[in-house]
Amino acid sequence: MAEPMKIRATLQGDVADVRILMLHPMETGTRKDSKGELVPAHFISSVIVTHNGKTVLDAQWSQAISRNPFLGLRVKGAKAGDRISVTWTDNKGDKRTDEVAVAAGS
Amino acid sequence: MLKLRCGIAAIAFIGMSGSALAADPLAVGRQMLAEDNPGELFIDRGKALFHEKRGPNQVSLEQCDFGLGPGNIEGAATRLPRYFPDTDSVQDLESRLVTCMVRLQGFNREDVIGKAISSPRSHGSDVENVALYITSVSNGKKMNVALRHQKEYDMYKAGEYLFYRRSGQTDFGCVQCHGESGKRIRLQDLVNMTDKKQIQEVVSTWPAYRGAHDTIRTMQWRLSDCLWQMRLPDLDYASDFTIAMTTFLHYQGNGAVIKVPGFKR
Amino acid sequence: MKKTIFKWAMLSVPALVTAGCATYPDEATTRQIAEKMVITSFSTTPETAKRLAQDASQQICSKIGDAKLTEADAAEVIKLARASIKYPQSGKLVGDWKVGDKLAHDGAGDRIRDGELEKRKENGALCQNCHGLAPDEINVGNVGPSLTGYGAQRGNSEAIAKYTYEKIYNAWAYFPCSNMPRLGATGHLTQEQIAHVVAYLIDPQSPVNKK
Repeated sequence: MAEPMKIRATLQGDVADVRILMLHPMETGTRKDSKGELVPAHFISSVIVTHNGKTVLDAQWSQAISRNPFLGLRVKGAKAGDRISVTWTDNKGDKRTDEVAVAAGS
Repeated sequence: MLKLRCGIAAIAFIGMSGSALAADPLAVGRQMLAEDNPGELFIDRGKALFHEKRGPNQVSLEQCDFGLGPGNIEGAATRLPRYFPDTDSVQDLESRLVTCMVRLQGFNREDVIGKAISSPRSHGSDVENVALYITSVSNGKKMNVALRHQKEYDMYKAGEYLFYRRSGQTDFGCVQCHGESGKRIRLQDLVNMTDKKQIQEVVSTWPAYRGAHDTIRTMQWRLSDCLWQMRLPDLDYASDFTIAMTTFLHYQGNGAVIKVPGFKR
Repeated sequence: MKKTIFKWAMLSVPALVTAGCATYPDEATTRQIAEKMVITSFSTTPETAKRLAQDASQQICSKIGDAKLTEADAAEVIKLARASIKYPQSGKLVGDWKVGDKLAHDGAGDRIRDGELEKRKENGALCQNCHGLAPDEINVGNVGPSLTGYGAQRGNSEAIAKYTYEKIYNAWAYFPCSNMPRLGATGHLTQEQIAHVVAYLIDPQSPVNKK
């Protein structure tokens, strides 16, 4: 079920500009479908970003984040080739991890 | 360990200055969407579907001729719509895709067309994903529709005629909303399709991620949605009307640099 | 020898002509091709198919590209438009501005999706889609001129009420081939609904005319 993310990490000086696109329904649990039934809550509840294995962002998300969310962050002290890994876990226990190497800036 | 309780939408810390935000927040927002478009995630899905052996005939779309020969899709989107001898008709990307899904892969035509426009919040239909993938392979290339075959000339002129054709209780043809610059319906800016630069903007950004639908949408969908607002009957998917209109618009937009997925509201 | 060469030349010329001569179809052929597409490209019932037909005025007003409306065209469209105007049974051209307010902001009604007609009590008047209305509203279109202060500028005399009513009923009576839908003449709005919209535009109490 967990769909692949798209991660871009570009070096700007010694800071990695990281952009993450995720595919996730992010259902709030308050929306009704066409039959009038409540669509159950289904959303990413945790996002962890690591830099060469070290956690740099540990976020707790809620229903407030929109569908197919975007997350951007800047990681200081990065070098080209460093590993940026992103893991999300949702409220149903589904998980997804994707990883990318920091690309040299232009 | 940095713990963030995010009760708000995740914010992108892109290199935008405070003054840029203050001066033209809409432009900053548009730039953000252009740089990071959820629609990009659908390209990979389309690519997988394109290469996979599918349908009752277990054939891959690599065998489909999109105008540059089977398996040759780089630049194909810039030359569509065009005449195809095997169907003796002018076809746009989507109708050509349907032809191949039916003739090569063995899918049922009614089924493919019935599912072509996916539900909002979905992962997109096969056609939407593959059409996006095929078009994305031409990113950076210029729209270059040629009129050579008589039927291509016919399609172009018919499309032009239909663009100006008024009917129904709204008395709308396309030109009523898309004939002047600087116009908008409520807060939705309208493209002046009689202006070269603006039409180029349009033809180069479909298929697009439609924010309100949380999924990929195509030109076929866009045309049918316009006609819905015009209070006209259901426009048939891949019908002659849609191909004529697309031929007209793409030809008018020749020179546009393909850049998909677009981002629409 | 000469005859044979001549015969071969004759045979090859038509082939060259057909191969090389793809070109833009003329006006009549284009119309024929396109009108056929209108018939074959939609899923309709006999009732909804009518929406695709063109009345005489629409045909005149579908000028292509830079083609201009001739004086004769304009006169014809105006004549047909004037003849189409129907007034409310009650004779009251000015209704309730509060009802008109709702109608003016309502952009829905009578749309078709998957063969189904939009289920609503009545059609919206669509005004906000194209026109500015009350001064504090920002999500208003600009396809047509702003109507903010409409009544404040013109007053609310009988003459203005009649003009406003007729303009909404059939705008082409005043501006042939205007981009504005002939809301009354095409049946999108009823006479009574138009009277309410007239009130919304000209009543001094209406938000349109407040500062």
